[in-house]
Amino acid sequence: MNVKAKCIISKDRVCIVETAAQAIFTICAFVAIFAVGSITLYMIANGVPALFKIGIRDILFSATWKPTAQEPEFGILYIVLTSIMGTALAVMIGVPIALLTAVFLAEIAPKTLTAVIKPAVELLAGIPSVVYGLLGLMVLNPLVYKWEQNLYRGSETHQFTGGANLLSAVLVLAVMILPTVVSISESAIRAVPSELKTSSMALGASHVQTIFRVILPAAKPGIIMAIVLGVGRAIGEAMAISLVSGGCVNFPMPFHSVRFLTTAIVSEMGYASGLHRQVLFTIGLVLFGFIMIVNLILNNILIREDR
Amino acid sequence: MITKTGNIKIKTERLNLYYGNTHALKDITIKIRANAVTALIGPSGCGKSTFLKTLNRINDLVSSVRIEGGVYLDEKDIYAPGVDVTKLRRKVGMVFQQPNPFPMSIYDNIAYGPRIHGIKDRNSLDEIVESSLRDAGIWEEVESRLEGSALRLSGGQQQRLCIARALAVQPEVLLMDEPTSALDPAASLKTEELMRWLKKKYTVIVVTHNMQQAVRVSDETAFFLNGEMIEAGMTREIFSYPRDRRTRDYIDGRFG
Repeated sequence: MNVKAKCIISKDRVCIVETAAQAIFTICAFVAIFAVGSITLYMIANGVPALFKIGIRDILFSATWKPTAQEPEFGILYIVLTSIMGTALAVMIGVPIALLTAVFLAEIAPKTLTAVIKPAVELLAGIPSVVYGLLGLMVLNPLVYKWEQNLYRGSETHQFTGGANLLSAVLVLAVMILPTVVSISESAIRAVPSELKTSSMALGASHVQTIFRVILPAAKPGIIMAIVLGVGRAIGEAMAISLVSGGCVNFPMPFHSVRFLTTAIVSEMGYASGLHRQVLFTIGLVLFGFIMIVNLILNNILIREDR
Repeated sequence: MITKTGNIKIKTERLNLYYGNTHALKDITIKIRANAVTALIGPSGCGKSTFLKTLNRINDLVSSVRIEGGVYLDEKDIYAPGVDVTKLRRKVGMVFQQPNPFPMSIYDNIAYGPRIHGIKDRNSLDEIVESSLRDAGIWEEVESRLEGSALRLSGGQQQRLCIARALAVQPEVLLMDEPTSALDPAASLKTEELMRWLKKKYTVIVVTHNMQQAVRVSDETAFFLNGEMIEAGMTREIFSYPRDRRTRDYIDGRFG
């Protein structure tokens, strides 16, 4: 306000540019806030009605999903569990690999090797997710199918998935979260003051001892942030896993054909109508809720660590 | 000082050090007495910190470093092939310019070194933590909050904590790289007091910009300029009757 008032009096050109720039920055910032706000409202407005029409228990805690039957049932329990299980397993596989890669890049690799690996990892982030899906479909599914055939040879009860199952989806997700977790935790590791490393070495610690006892603990907030974003990426991924996960609503076991929250929306929205369509929005709301919860929990951990 | 005279802890012979093509230390030959405080003085970039860092081979971490000549700790060449750098660094502790406690509790900071070297028994660790903190003159201040984060201590306390951390591995030599330059005057004085006390048990080598500090704490002083050691001797003599004109000019504050 002060600046503006001065501008009007002085008619100073620089001053006017400054004020205009400030206004533009402010407007741009509000676009993001407006987007978040309207998405939240929209998801609640569209997702909540079905919850009350069908009943929270019949949607969230029932495992029968028959949206197009004569007497439709909309239990999404298995779908929710699949998303939780799939994300958890993908993080359990992907995060250790990513973390060790980050340590390697930041601490161990000679510069020439970093110059090769880093762009390769960053390129992973740029590959469209549908391409991951295609690769999974062509390469991973046949391999997993072979394993499945060996494992369940002669089984009467097992429903063969042809390799399109939770395991394939988890492996694809684990690779997809690598670039996010690697690059963010690498920056976190690089941001650890070099004096800490030197101090540790000066006490007679080896490089590896220093990495695990000083550098990684010091980089913990950044690494947790990397994992949050990895979880967010895994739980929100739809395209790639819809191609490799089979698509039946099943309890999440490695060799079951499964449907995730995301893939349920993608595969059914085309033909859903009426209550079915509304339930798909409820699924979207559940997904939205998950991402919010993950962010809140991990942010709280971050704040506690800082203190 | 009378009894310990002549007891040489560290000596270097024609020590030359290069960072890539930069000749950072030129033909340094010096003898450093045990159980005394030796001050290394000189203007910024004169090589005194670099020299300090050759004594525990922490310069090895810089990939472009090349060293010629000999550095002897108790008559043994620390750059000889087959020397265990871990053991060397246990014997030659180091305290840095910026207080840099690890982001963990006070207790864990002190116990870090001993744990690295394989001490797991809680009673032994307790003893080491207490005696190190006592030696560093900070025990009374932190006794009641050993499990609290070390990052919550004041700058001066953090620096004494770092000294205690270095003492916890029971070194024989303590290298201090401008240990008070990031501290306020009161905390600096406390650290200086500590240095004078530490020499009873340890050989202390301190790099300092502050000539009054060198006079206050040190028994011997070495003056560095442009990578050369210009002169070394008893602190009293160096400051009262410098032999070299450059030393005199520096002490008189004509440059620096």
